Amino acid sequence: MKYLLFLLLFLLILGVVGVASNPSPGFAALSLVMVAGSGCSLLAGQGGYFLALILFLIYLGGMLVVFAYSVAFTGSDYVEGWGTRRISLAAAGYLLLVWGGGVILNTNLNEEFWTVGVSFGEFMSLEYSLVGVAHLYMGGGWLLVAGAWALLLVLLAVLELVRGASRGAVRVV
Amino acid sequence: MSPYMLIILIFTLGLGTLITLSSSHWLIAWMGLELNTFAILPLMAQQHSPRAMEATIKYFIIQTTAATMLLFASVSNAWLSGQWEIQQMSHPTPLALITIALALKLGLAPMHAWFPEVLQGLNFSTGLILSTWQKLAPFSLLLQIPPTSSFLLITLGFISVLMGGWGGLNQTQLRKILGYSSIAHLGWMILIMQYAPPLTLLALTVYIVLTSSMFLTFLYNQATNINSLAISWTKTPMLTALTPLVLLSLGGLPPLTGFLPKWAILQELTKQGLTPVAALTALSALLSLYFYLRLSYATALTTPPNNLPATLPWRIIFKQPTTFLAVLITMSLSLLPLSPSVMAFFTF
Repeated sequence: MKYLLFLLLFLLILGVVGVASNPSPGFAALSLVMVAGSGCSLLAGQGGYFLALILFLIYLGGMLVVFAYSVAFTGSDYVEGWGTRRISLAAAGYLLLVWGGGVILNTNLNEEFWTVGVSFGEFMSLEYSLVGVAHLYMGGGWLLVAGAWALLLVLLAVLELVRGASRGAVRVV
Repeated sequence: MSPYMLIILIFTLGLGTLITLSSSHWLIAWMGLELNTFAILPLMAQQHSPRAMEATIKYFIIQTTAATMLLFASVSNAWLSGQWEIQQMSHPTPLALITIALALKLGLAPMHAWFPEVLQGLNFSTGLILSTWQKLAPFSLLLQIPPTSSFLLITLGFISVLMGGWGGLNQTQLRKILGYSSIAHLGWMILIMQYAPPLTLLALTVYIVLTSSMFLTFLYNQATNINSLAISWTKTPMLTALTPLVLLSLGGLPPLTGFLPKWAILQELTKQGLTPVAALTALSALLSLYFYLRLSYATALTTPPNNLPATLPWRIIFKQPTTFLAVLITMSLSLLPLSPSVMAFFTF
């Protein structure tokens, strides 16, 4: 278990360094996938399975996919990644920074036990997010309607803003 | 824009403000603010010109930055104190951050640079909504949070009055002038907020009446800069006679309504022992008065050099109803004798 945790944390840090050091948005998005994957596995291993599931679905499967499609429009011919010397030096520098920070803070992984659960009322040892979503649908009432209206409004506002041809704002007439 | 879309957007503008005004939980307040931000974006982009699009994008970035700061501060407060009540914030750091976030949302100096440019990109009716309705929700939150650093609020207020006056001096575009006037008036409101919140509401209401009069006057005359304003006397002689008075009311001169909030605020500041602040703020208001005077000079006190045929407009009957404008102008000129009842209206 210790080794699994170490591997996931290492992949997390490596992914974050990848996001920070890559100028190409495609490579940065790929690193972000690594970050999200390892972070969610860590979270799920400690009891936050619902949050991890929702993150994978919405963040990676919704937002990141749309981001990647938009980024694909801006594709460039000469993409630089970790292969070039400048970027690999930057990545090594970030890794050194993280290592230095770890030395300064000097946390001991064995001593900390953390979980993401709560038990109160009829919800026994369930996760905060799950309990929250259940509450929203159970006793949310008009707040749920307002939340749904907000989502619908954002969709309509975006559609109105990016409507093409002569009725929209994307192409100047 | 399709009428269905217009109805949905205007309804959501009202809903968002209502949600923020009636909320006691920070997340709900944030939700109302976000609803307002998103609902006004298509309205701002209606004109489809590059300037309007740029104004829309600037507005979106500024408002979401402020909303994110607000969310961060409220989550930090929830972490530190364990609860989400707006009126029970206890830690000074989230309080200060929330004040700065709401100041960014309103357009107070030193976070004011976006406001005149955004107003310049909009037509007058959308600019009116931006200057009046969109101020209500952040103000309701500012009025409810517990007292924060006194120095922060006084600094925000005084610098807003100063920058609002100073920045407007070099402008010829009317929307930018109205933007700087808005910054100055918001400064007056913030200045008195920690000592007498009813006076903030009084200043806000009087400001809304005054600035709506000006926006609707410029909309009626289709005047976007001082030159167009100068030749608008031919279209609407009656309105031309009243516009200088409304402008002087904005400047805060007695015996017009605009004097009331300034008078009450200066009196309250002096009672609180802040006489130097009061004196300096009153002197800074002179800067705004100068460009209001310049506008009234251009409107009614000069005749532009034109030959006679050019001064006679087509005899077109203006189809725009002016009832609302008439009510607003009446209120902006003649409410000072009713000061006691007006102030009693706001004292709670």
